[in-house]
Amino acid sequence: MTTLTLPETRPMGARLLSVMKLHFANPWTTITLPWIILATIFTANLAIWALIFMNTPTSEHADIAAGLQWSGASLYIFVYMMVVAIGAINVTFPFALGYGVTRRDYYLGTSLQFVLLAVMYATGLTILAEIEKATNGWGLGGRMFTAAYFGSDLVWYQQFFVFFALLVFFFFVGAAVAAVFVRWKGTGITFFFIALGALVLAALYLLTLTDSWPAVGEFLGNAGWVGTYAWSLVITVISAVAGYLILRKATPRNS
Amino acid sequence: MTAVIEVAGLTRRYGTLAAVDDVTFSLEENMIHGLLGRNGAGKTTLMQLLTGQEFATSGTIRVFGQSPLENASVLQHVSFIKESQRYPEDFKPKHVLRSAPWFFENWDADFAERLVDDFRLPLNTRIKKLSRGQLSSVGVIVGLASRAPLTFFDEPYLGLDAVARQTFYDRLLEDYAEHPRTVVLSTHLIDEVSNLLEHVLVIDKGRIVIDQDSDSLRGAATTVVGTRSAVDAFVAGREEMHRDAIGGLASVTIAGLSAKERAQATAAGLELGPVSLQQLIIRMTNMSEHDHSEHSENELEHSA
Repeated sequence: MTTLTLPETRPMGARLLSVMKLHFANPWTTITLPWIILATIFTANLAIWALIFMNTPTSEHADIAAGLQWSGASLYIFVYMMVVAIGAINVTFPFALGYGVTRRDYYLGTSLQFVLLAVMYATGLTILAEIEKATNGWGLGGRMFTAAYFGSDLVWYQQFFVFFALLVFFFFVGAAVAAVFVRWKGTGITFFFIALGALVLAALYLLTLTDSWPAVGEFLGNAGWVGTYAWSLVITVISAVAGYLILRKATPRNS
Repeated sequence: MTAVIEVAGLTRRYGTLAAVDDVTFSLEENMIHGLLGRNGAGKTTLMQLLTGQEFATSGTIRVFGQSPLENASVLQHVSFIKESQRYPEDFKPKHVLRSAPWFFENWDADFAERLVDDFRLPLNTRIKKLSRGQLSSVGVIVGLASRAPLTFFDEPYLGLDAVARQTFYDRLLEDYAEHPRTVVLSTHLIDEVSNLLEHVLVIDKGRIVIDQDSDSLRGAATTVVGTRSAVDAFVAGREEMHRDAIGGLASVTIAGLSAKERAQATAAGLELGPVSLQQLIIRMTNMSEHDHSEHSENELEHSA
């Protein structure tokens, strides 16, 4: 018997593009729904701000704005991106493999798509944050996109970076969790979170016992907002690599 | 002859269970191969190994001459829609059909559209709301319209009614004639597909018990019917695959006969009948359970 010679292999760029398009085949979960929810939360917040604004004396408005900077309203979008990442990988991985996609192409394409989504959301959030600043809190002293943990006194590109770093962090931690689930299912997730919990607890113990909290505070203080968020990229990259190493030995299962 | 798939000494163990157990075979290009066997015999595991979805414990797999594992140049020519294929939950069939051409360069959108009509598949219903049969037809449409040089169908018609199944067979044959490709069809509805198959692999408990052209397989066994005494006299000394008896009549399935033996049987007043692929496979798998799998294979080789 002779062996076949294969036609030319599609270039990698084209293969990765196909995987990225697969994630956008139905943009509802990854794009439409998050913006709808965000818009809903924003509208509700606007209504509440307006209510407060109209029913308090002008002298107290500055105090109220200071309090509103701790709004958690937009935190949802970051956590939701982790959910998006887990859901996307869990459902598209077995599907893509049926379409003859390799695990490597799948993971690379998916990662690129996550970065692209992070750029898109970070752009949107930065624009909203800039409008919020320019209009002095939508004319009502409200704070949603310039909440305290997104940094203070940042120029727009720094603001963009903070949003971007936060988004990729949640995307790739989500990718790693999804890889654990796809490969080892519920049992894997259980052990993963036990191990993660133990690790975090051990770190907290270590920091407390060695009285290192001031040092941590000083370190982050020196790093500044942008620097602190830049450090999160280390965890992001570790998660991304771990996700690949786990997924590359995974087999699509029935359930 | 050109082999699309060459497998040697392939084993996949899950703990102590060998889902695929030291399997060696090759599949020729541009043929329709049947991968038959009972539920849990190892059909899906074998196909997952061939498509690089599952990892071998030992042995070698060559698909288009290369290992399929993480090999984009092999896998881009492979379509494998599993019986239990999972689709993204928020997908509708239209999303599946929209995305398929990004992965299959031979995708025929017109053909897919015709198949959607044939199977009466609603395009705008969420995948998770589809009935079992509709879900199967999604897989069938993707498998057919992708025209991948190597196409796997794993129990493609679970829940499909008889009309839809016939449609699948018809469309498969029509399209296969126009666009030859290698098809591996896994099923336990053996009689329905027996006319479609050109080559048959039967897997039982992870081992290949039959690996034969379906034509020679059909001649591999004969049923001898007649009075019990005449039948007994004729089959004496031969391996009986199966025996039915009603009153003074007996019907015994034995290995295929030569022209001379057939003449003898007819002279003895016996009737000879063909054995359907399904019956043959049931009998041979049963035999492999009683004796050893090698036994039934030897039987076949003698007669072939």
